[in-house]
Amino acid sequence: MSEFSHYEADQSALYSGEHHVDASSDASKAQVKKIWMITLYLTIITIVEVFIGLYVSGHMPKLYLNSGFIIMTMFKAYLIVKVFMHLGDEVKNMISTILIPLTLFFWFIIAFLADGAFWLWINHAFGIR
Amino acid sequence: MSSVAIDSKKKVWGGGQSPFNLSYGKIMMWYFLMSDAFTFGAFLISYGTTRFFSAIWPNANAVFKSFPFCGEANMPLMFVSLMTFILILSSVTMVLAVHAGHCRDKNGVIKWMIWTIIGGIAFLSCQAWEWTHLFAEGGWWGGFRNGVGAHHLAGFFKAGEAIDPIGSADAAHKFFNFFFTITGFHGAHVASGVVLNIIILLNTINGTYERRGHYEMVEKVGLYWHFVDLVWVFVFTCFYLL
Repeated sequence: MSEFSHYEADQSALYSGEHHVDASSDASKAQVKKIWMITLYLTIITIVEVFIGLYVSGHMPKLYLNSGFIIMTMFKAYLIVKVFMHLGDEVKNMISTILIPLTLFFWFIIAFLADGAFWLWINHAFGIR
Repeated sequence: MSSVAIDSKKKVWGGGQSPFNLSYGKIMMWYFLMSDAFTFGAFLISYGTTRFFSAIWPNANAVFKSFPFCGEANMPLMFVSLMTFILILSSVTMVLAVHAGHCRDKNGVIKWMIWTIIGGIAFLSCQAWEWTHLFAEGGWWGGFRNGVGAHHLAGFFKAGEAIDPIGSADAAHKFFNFFFTITGFHGAHVASGVVLNIIILLNTINGTYERRGHYEMVEKVGLYWHFVDLVWVFVFTCFYLL
């Protein structure tokens, strides 16, 4: 094998043979097709989001509207992380080290939004703003 | 890949292998992205909290309704949708570059990396236009510049909403501060991503990765680029949709 720089030396075995696929093979073509399919889904979801943002915005209660946006955005994020970033192909425990902190982060989001809403309510209740 | 995981379970602590069967560089890129996700998350959460405790807030459809070369046309959300589409497409070309790397197809990597870089530069140009346009309307960090945009104020809010002059000016100031800071941070990430992509492209052309025996560097820089795209998906949702 050709010479590797010092830090690469013992890691090359991890990936030199694993993914090697011939560019013109069926497996490769199937992967490329999958990539374009995911692109299509992402585009469709974005178009739907924009459509809703433009035409449905005034006519639906904010809670449903925003929940819908968040669900669609999370789904886009799921596709990008799983397929484009290949997290779906990694070792299960590795996936957990990424997903578990993000789940806790979700709690962080909810807590702070609730805090903001409470702040508004209590100031309104005491007639400060 | 899962079969390798089962084998390695037997000698996980025996040494001689890397955790999760990933190279050091890749794991570190993932964890760097996590830290960056917390940073952007903190920004977006503070935006959300501020918004939640504001009685009134500018309406995205009213603030972002221009399109380059269309003058006074009222096209809410169209330009930002185009920007989102451009960035998602550049992410797709990046995946295709990584795939070409797996196939050891050097010319494929070069082709798709070039498209990714073009997409990144296009996005930055669009963002620069958006900033320039808002600046021209009077927006900037700290609120309206010397009263330039103050007469636009009512136009930034939903039509028909009762405008309390002090509250709405205050909300507009906060909005601009958050908008320019968060999109600025994101734009800096896109710019650094473009620079990194150019470096990796040059390395690919020089045959560095052929000599090394693998294109993992393209994958690592691809992870960064996808992260940049992901952040934009969330920024787009928070600022323009919610």
